[in-house]
Amino acid sequence: MTGPMPFGRTDHVVAPSLPHSNRLSFDDGVALQEHFHAQGWTDGLPIVPPTTDAVAACLDWAALPADHLIGVEPVRGRAITAEKVAINSVMAGCLPSHFPVVVTAVTAMLAEPFLLHGATASTGGCGVLVVVNGPIRHEIGMSSGFNAVGPSDRASTCIGRAVRLVLGNLLEVRPGEIDRSTLGHPGKISFCIAEDEEQTPWASLAAERIGDPYVSAVTVMAAMGPRQLMNEWTTEPAEILDTFVAEIKANMRHYSIWAGNYAVVIPPQLRAHFDTAGWSKADVREYVFEHARIRRGEWAGVGKRSAVGEKGEHTYAALTEPDDLLVIAAGGPAGGFGAVIPPWLGTTSRAITVPVGACIDC
Amino acid sequence: MTIEVLNPTYDEAAGDFTAAARVGELDGLTIGIVSNGKHGTVPFFDAFADELRRRSRVAEVVRVIKPNYSAPAGDEILDDARRWHALVAGIGD
Repeated sequence: MTGPMPFGRTDHVVAPSLPHSNRLSFDDGVALQEHFHAQGWTDGLPIVPPTTDAVAACLDWAALPADHLIGVEPVRGRAITAEKVAINSVMAGCLPSHFPVVVTAVTAMLAEPFLLHGATASTGGCGVLVVVNGPIRHEIGMSSGFNAVGPSDRASTCIGRAVRLVLGNLLEVRPGEIDRSTLGHPGKISFCIAEDEEQTPWASLAAERIGDPYVSAVTVMAAMGPRQLMNEWTTEPAEILDTFVAEIKANMRHYSIWAGNYAVVIPPQLRAHFDTAGWSKADVREYVFEHARIRRGEWAGVGKRSAVGEKGEHTYAALTEPDDLLVIAAGGPAGGFGAVIPPWLGTTSRAITVPVGACIDC
Repeated sequence: MTIEVLNPTYDEAAGDFTAAARVGELDGLTIGIVSNGKHGTVPFFDAFADELRRRSRVAEVVRVIKPNYSAPAGDEILDDARRWHALVAGIGD
């Protein structure tokens, strides 16, 4: 089945039995864990046993048949079914109520502009940033506050982990197999943020990207590790953004000069200054678009003189357009901190936003 | 107590790969070289093309570069490749 299917528990839809995946039997939990580790089916952490009942509960919650086609990985032609995503979600520790978010994240990753194969195979070593918006955040207990970019709550951690296990077990995105990352980063274990839509007048990320302020939605981005910054010494939005811009420009000098989707995470203490001054997310995007630019010649100052060539005076922008910037409200109540999350490799992979319960390719 | 769980991996067994037919002698053949476009491929494939020409009388060495080094070659390159007798693809960083 490929048609749109609304997520959410109903008493009228019963997912069929699970006829597809092979069943494995173990004498005890230790043997099970060791087998999964030995096969390379985990991320190094213990897993929750994907029993038939647990997997069926996920499918039942989302009202998805086991053989529902989530999508096809464009490069290798792998058909990704709901049953396999559910198995890996259970392993990651997801509750059934988390499963629709995982399905939506996988749906988004399979969209061709995300370039899933390239992003997950690259030596660049990016992870998949998952940003969740809408009412489902509260339904599943996601937190947008303390430690928002790290392990802030059960749902965020398990959803992010499920994405990684799906990649590993369904597409062999494991170190040394498809995943050729030179270094990688800790976000590759789990990298999931719920946006704070309540303590801000700003429109949510999803509302701005898909135009619906009420729907739950998931945005995925092929992302490098977060670069944290601090500026507690001004109340001027432009000066605060100068610190974010400086971090972006540092990334352009040290990592990649190419324009693409950058994400910035702005916590309440800094957001208060934007609110007071009447700055919208669009104002933030426009400012960063105008100011986050470097000359290629700046590479000479960071040891990359040989790559400057004859383009030393050529100016490169971090964003191809203001809308490339994902502005995310999240973080604990105190602290003038912020984070810049750079793209994997310019516009090679595009951030994708998909409403929960939607199919983008059917 | 026995625990029964479901296999989390992709079910379809990897297909068998069959090596492309060998062309034998290269004299008179058109050889394509598909680069992923990274800087390191340039000197490598330059040297490789020189060796092809030095060791045999190839009719032509065609050099193409993928527009996106992280994505598969597009239809345009694959269409071009149909007129080649052999193709060498490689990556470089």
